[in-house]
Order: sequence, then C-alpha cells, then structure tokens
Amino acid sequence: MSRDLVCREVVELINGYLDGSLPADVRAAVEAHLAGCDGCTMVLEEFRQTIAMTGMLTEEQVASAQRDILLAAFRGWATA
Amino acid sequence: MQAPRASAADLELVERLRARDETAFMELVDGLTPSMRRVARMFVSSDAVADEVVQEAWVGVLKGLAGYEGRASLRTWIFRILVNIAKGRGQREARSVPFATLAGDDLDAPTFDAAAFDHSGGWSTLPFDWRGMPDERVTGRETLAVIGRAIASLPPMQAHVIRLRDVLGWSSDEVRNALDLTDTNQRVLLHRARAKVRAAVEEHLRSVSA
Repeated sequence: MSRDLVCREVVELINGYLDGSLPADVRAAVEAHLAGCDGCTMVLEEFRQTIAMTGMLTEEQVASAQRDILLAAFRGWATA
Repeated sequence: MQAPRASAADLELVERLRARDETAFMELVDGLTPSMRRVARMFVSSDAVADEVVQEAWVGVLKGLAGYEGRASLRTWIFRILVNIAKGRGQREARSVPFATLAGDDLDAPTFDAAAFDHSGGWSTLPFDWRGMPDERVTGRETLAVIGRAIASLPPMQAHVIRLRDVLGWSSDEVRNALDLTDTNQRVLLHRARAKVRAAVEEHLRSVSA
C-alpha cells in the first residue's frame, strides 16, 4: 500500500487486522498508522476487549438475551 | 375443522396481559417459544431466522392483543400470527437473494458515525475511552448481558457469524463452510457484528461511568 491510511479507513480494517486476514502491505500500513495514533490504538484495544468478553458468554446467555428483549418489548407496550 | 374457542383460562390470561402483568407475559413466552420455533423452522431456512420470526410474532401478539376477542383459543391465535410471519419470510427467502435478506442491509455502513471524523479522515470526536475503568466494572455481568442483547438483535446472518466465531470460538474457515459463505462475506458480516457489539458496550460503559 503506497499511501498512508487515515483513521476513518483504519477502523474499517481493525477486525481484519485482529484476525490476521489482511494482505501484508495493508497490515504494514495499519501498523504504521497505529504506531502514531492513540485514538485508533484505543479503538483497537476496545475491539480486542469486546471480542474477549463476547467469548466469555455462553450460548445459553445469548438465548436468554432474546428473552430479555421480549420483556423490554412488553414493558414498552405496557407503558405505551 | 373449527378451531377451539378461548377457554376461561385463556380469557383470564388475556386479562392479566392487558393489565400489564409481565410475569404472565413471560410465562406465556417461555411456554410457547420452543414449539413456535419448531413451527417457524418449517417455513424458513435456518434456526437464526426462525428465532427472528418468533421474536417478531411476539411483538405482533402484543400489537394485536387489544383486538383479541376470544373467537379462537389464545394458542391458536398466537400460532396464526406466527405462521403468517414465517410464511412471509419463507416466501421472501425463496424468491429473493437469501444473502441480502439474512445478512442485513447495513453491511456498507461505517463503523463509526461520519461526524466522528474531520474532513481529512482523522478523529474529530473520539469514542468513549473505557480503559481507565476498573476491570470488574468493564467485564462484569451487566456488560455481558449488554453484549448478549446486542448479538440477539443483529440481523440473522451477522448473529450467526459472531456466535460461531466469538462465542463458540470457531475458525473463519469452519464458519465459512458451515454457513456456506465466501471468505469476504464472512469477514464483512463479522466486522459489522463486532462493530455493533463494541458500540453497545461503549454506550453501556459510558452511561455507567457518568
């Protein structure tokens, strides 16, 4: 990749970066940007932590979240 | 065959629902959801879509409750709503590009609002920085519940991909094969899903830190 990346582009590449699926030149451009950008480094850390927390969930918790949403729908209906 | 009319128990339950009794609603949800899911699955192509149909049916039940007159049993009435929604989804799946229907129509949406960046593409407003917050707060039960709800509200294919990749820890190849996705589609779906989950976490942590 011949030009520098801007923050708006880097955030779209972060998950590819975390998964190791970027081509080598793009990966190098992302790393070069991260080295000088606190904002994007923070967002990278936030994605990393979000993924780690998602991994702490069980399938049962995801299923019971669907139930929570219905309860919220009922409460919305009940106060409408 | 004439559908059974509402029983006294049905009418009593409907009265409780109309009186905004949420325990009554959740008992009904828990009692009927498993069979609703099985019925929905007869019309649509995946468990994830069936789940979505069931959610939609419950919302339809709430909307229609004021007009329920007891001419059919409550169960019959609810399943009629469910089957109508499931049929509609099944027909749309059959005639249109299933990928677009299942994947969500927001795959091109940016990860952050355009207003977060200045004209040159650099940050103008940074997202909330939660790195200074105590760990037990960040990774606590409440945040996990927020993540669960965010995943449950994703379009079906995005939910499927993030559940398999990040909840169950499958590799991208395993997910691609299981869901019959191209490598690019798998990556785009996962990115959208994670972006929405991260945004939900951000919103939650911002509100509890205030």
